[in-house]
Amino acid sequence: MSMIRVEKLSKSFGSLQVLKEVDLTVEKGERIVIIGGSGCGKSVFLRCMDLLETPDEGTVFIGDNELTSPKADLNRIRRKVGMVYQGFHLFSNMNVLDNITLAPIKLLGLPRAEAEKKAETLLEMVGLLSKKYMMPDVLSGGQKQRIAIVRCLAMEPDIMLFDEPTSALDPTMVGEVLATLRLLAKRGMTMVIVTHEMAFAREIATRILYFDEQGIYEEGTPQEIFDAPKKKKTRDFIHKMKYFFWQIDDRNFDLMQLQGNIRSFAGKYGMDEKRTNRLQLCTEELIYEMLEQHGQPDAGVDMQIQISFDERDRCAVIGLRSRGVQYNPFEADTEDEIHLGVTILKNTAKRLDYRFDGVNNYLEIEL
Amino acid sequence: MNIKEILYKTLIAGDSYKTLLKGLGVTVQISLLSVILGTLLGMVICAMRRSRFRVIRTVAAGYIAVIRGSPVLLLLMLMYYVVFAGSKVSATIVAVAAFSIHMSAYTAACFYSAINATDAMQAEAARTLGFSKWQAFILITLPQAAKIAKGTYQSTIVTLIQWTSVVGYVTITDLTRVINNIGSRTMEPLFMILVGLLLYLGMAYICYGAFALAERLAILRKGRRRGA
Ligand SMILES: Nc1ncnc2c1ncn2[C@@H]1O[C@H](COP(=O)(O)OP(=O)(O)OP(=O)(O)O)[C@@H](O)[C@H]1O
Ligand SMILES: [Mg+2]
Repeated sequence: MSMIRVEKLSKSFGSLQVLKEVDLTVEKGERIVIIGGSGCGKSVFLRCMDLLETPDEGTVFIGDNELTSPKADLNRIRRKVGMVYQGFHLFSNMNVLDNITLAPIKLLGLPRAEAEKKAETLLEMVGLLSKKYMMPDVLSGGQKQRIAIVRCLAMEPDIMLFDEPTSALDPTMVGEVLATLRLLAKRGMTMVIVTHEMAFAREIATRILYFDEQGIYEEGTPQEIFDAPKKKKTRDFIHKMKYFFWQIDDRNFDLMQLQGNIRSFAGKYGMDEKRTNRLQLCTEELIYEMLEQHGQPDAGVDMQIQISFDERDRCAVIGLRSRGVQYNPFEADTEDEIHLGVTILKNTAKRLDYRFDGVNNYLEIEL
Repeated sequence: MNIKEILYKTLIAGDSYKTLLKGLGVTVQISLLSVILGTLLGMVICAMRRSRFRVIRTVAAGYIAVIRGSPVLLLLMLMYYVVFAGSKVSATIVAVAAFSIHMSAYTAACFYSAINATDAMQAEAARTLGFSKWQAFILITLPQAAKIAKGTYQSTIVTLIQWTSVVGYVTITDLTRVINNIGSRTMEPLFMILVGLLLYLGMAYICYGAFALAERLAILRKGRRRGA
């Protein structure tokens, strides 16, 4: 039996059609990750699954219960569906323990002692047992989010929906929340997650949905979506998310602008100052090495830089494609002072790769 | 004349203190009833202001705007000389009605903005756990709104107590009227005004004290439950 079944779901706000005839079936134990550009309807779709937004058309089943039926007991069905928001929304008039035990006591009729014991077990699981008597406003974002997750878990949901659970967090706190999600995955929780954390999506998802054009534009396994997307918009989106791109077609390119963009890219993924500097330095050396050492001064420059950052092992890879004659800078004579850049690269990088396909030189270094 | 003589003349002679207490009683009675009825009516108006239906929302908003915009004395005179003119209803009841209406508009506005100031997403989060709309309101929104509304609500009550001093206009003998009477009878108006000020001040502080006490009790109860 499927956990969630969405059929022909449509939703508009006024004249803005956000979702159009979307179908989705989520089986038990599946972990669906929804990705897509801003404003493409990911949140609305998630909210429709818990009927926080009323669909204009279509049906939503949670297990055997049709949520969209006028006779549906929404409050009862919702107990089995956990929802975690970007903004945590812990009950600010209660301490952590009461936040977690409120629903089990009031809705499931659990005795207080039992509910608290269960809450403590869950808090321990996410490493926050010591915070049980604290008020939400003194906790960090990452702590709040872990407690929001525990608050859902206390109701023993069959499915959990996450709407960008790490987007409101400082980069330093993203990891702790993702770790909690991994823990749930390991326990076989059925989850639907909207996220911009691509590396995490790839790691945790059993299926990826790319949203565009008012619905599921393309779907597949993480490998299919991230490594071989079939449709154009998916391809564009995947590349934009994962990589930093820079095209150079002039010897006098704007280095300052490039460095600035690398810095903001690095900032977005929470790289520290040292790594950011190294990234900038290596990119610069790589470019100049290729510009100086190969190709005639009058030949056109056609170079492309792409930097990707893997949030899982937090390693950055700089890739450079340069059109021209074959030239491998990593084999250059490092005794020679002109190749000082190469020495720097060799000392900084974890891995250096070189490849030539007859037209282009491909360099790759991992930091 | 020394202070003893003044005290005797104004408060003791001819059982003046009894008259004074009676006047105080009338003021307390009108204030208390108006606060209770006005708060209840205010809740209804606030609920209407938050209604799903536009017509009801508009009516409530209009009510709040009109009542808050009109001087309470005029409201009182309108009720006494026009609405209830010729009826057998006592002046005190008319006063209670007028002040309740006045109070209701202020409390409705106060509660409405307090509720709006709470995080609606917290109530929604409660709903995703399976709470009904009403439960989410009672458990999450209301306690938070109450905390926000407390200060304004308190001063609304104190202001109302002071405003009841105009009921003399509709033949009611309240504290202010008694103060005035004794003051002119004994030729000691200044002294009596001071007595009156102290009594009104006392009522205001009893009111603040009651709120503080209620708050303390709530905290104690919470602490006991936690066993901490
Ligand atoms: N309650 C609402 N009223 C009107 N328009 C809405 C409402 N909720 C969402 N929208 C619109 O629907 C569209 C989809 O919104 P949605 O929040 O689902 O985007 P999203 O994919 O979650 O984007 P993001 O990544 O920025 O969170 C947006 O254009 C948004 O402005
Ligand atoms: Mg969203």
